[in-house]
Amino acid sequence: METANDINFLSALLPLTGVVFLIVLGVLLLNQQFKKKLLTQKLKQEKLNAQHQFELLQASIAVQEEERKRIARDLHDELGAALSMARMHLMHIEQETALQPAQITHMQQVRGMLENALASTRRISHELMPPLLESFGLAQTLEAMATDLNKLGKLQLEVITGNYSHRLPLAAELGLYRVCMELVNNTIRHAQATHIRLHLQQQAGSVILHYNDNGKGFDETNLKKGIGQHSIETRIHALNGTVTIKNSEQGGIAVTAEIPLMG
Amino acid sequence: MPSSKWLIPISCIPEFIVTGYAIAIYGKLKNELRLFCWFIFLSCAVELATVLLWWFHKNNLPLHHVYVPAGFFILLWFFKSVLRNYIDPRIFNTVLILFLVFSIINSFFIQGLFTFDSNALTVESVLVIILSFFTLNIAQNEAVKEVADGKFKSINWINAGLLIYFSSNLLLFYFGDVINRSFPIYLSQYSWIVHGFFSLVMYSSFFIGLWKRPTT
Repeated sequence: METANDINFLSALLPLTGVVFLIVLGVLLLNQQFKKKLLTQKLKQEKLNAQHQFELLQASIAVQEEERKRIARDLHDELGAALSMARMHLMHIEQETALQPAQITHMQQVRGMLENALASTRRISHELMPPLLESFGLAQTLEAMATDLNKLGKLQLEVITGNYSHRLPLAAELGLYRVCMELVNNTIRHAQATHIRLHLQQQAGSVILHYNDNGKGFDETNLKKGIGQHSIETRIHALNGTVTIKNSEQGGIAVTAEIPLMG
Repeated sequence: MPSSKWLIPISCIPEFIVTGYAIAIYGKLKNELRLFCWFIFLSCAVELATVLLWWFHKNNLPLHHVYVPAGFFILLWFFKSVLRNYIDPRIFNTVLILFLVFSIINSFFIQGLFTFDSNALTVESVLVIILSFFTLNIAQNEAVKEVADGKFKSINWINAGLLIYFSSNLLLFYFGDVINRSFPIYLSQYSWIVHGFFSLVMYSSFFIGLWKRPTT
């Protein structure tokens, strides 16, 4: 009787083990599902954060460009106009009034200073917002920049626009223009180069910018990025593009930036 | 003397108290706890109907065949609402459909309407144990704590009550047959005392859970 009871009890215990196993399995499966969902939510959140950061970056660059445009317009239309008026009045005084030779010399000096200020105002205004860019596009603006720079005779800027004929949205052209300006400025200030090659190329679905100089390059082991490099990367990333900055095998810097053509 | 004479009736009192309290605070509760209140209301209604049928010497077991799937439906809905951000809702829908189908088959073709539906109750217990154990587990997760905003404070009490009651239920119904056949009759009566005790524990947990409800 005792043994029969033991057997009954044991035969009841065995399925119970199965039930406990089922419970554990159920909890584990739900836990796995929970972790999967949590990971998905986390990834979604990170994607949203990245998207938000990207939009912030684009907005901040757009605001910056808008502000530059406003300052350029104010400089050109208000300060430039005021200086032109001042020069005109000065010329009027020179023509209409009988002046002593010493006074004429002073007047000519003042006129020279005014003309310099006017030229500077125009240059700063154009650098802030190149008027060619909006009307004729990136390729012609870069070519004009090369002509101006080559006139100085210190280095040779070669712009190759090849098959590039596309007009990008103004924000993209401005972004690429600023990158080129930053690169040229860096070369002039730090590279001791005599030649710059800027190649703008159009490929299926993207625009590629190759920039090379024959200067001394940069220290690749220094992990700390300069403001210029950071600014270039930020601008290209804001255009959904990619950029690589390295020393070329022939010496000098080699930069390749690629941005997708939208629409 | 077996204590069943006083413990079993006493075990009903917390149920009525909790029901009264749930009715009183129903309007102030958030959606999940409102859903849970319907489980309390259903349990109370079934308890009352069971007593009435017993009073008129009618078999009240068919009522239990309705109570188990209906109670499980509400509990699953409650869990679905609590875990909606953490578990795919289709899992709950699938489990519900499968359980309802099993419950109907059991009531009409396996155990019959006039027999105690221990099969459905055992399956219900297993499922509720899994869900409450899992809910208690994820309530400890740091990522969940960050976004839950104190929601789990009251739900943990309710879960603890469900886990304790359904675990004891599972063991009692599982070993009920063995106890009846292999041990003296007074031991079988004691098993109902144990059931009454765990029912009391469960309703006490429910009361604390409702008491600690989120106020914002």
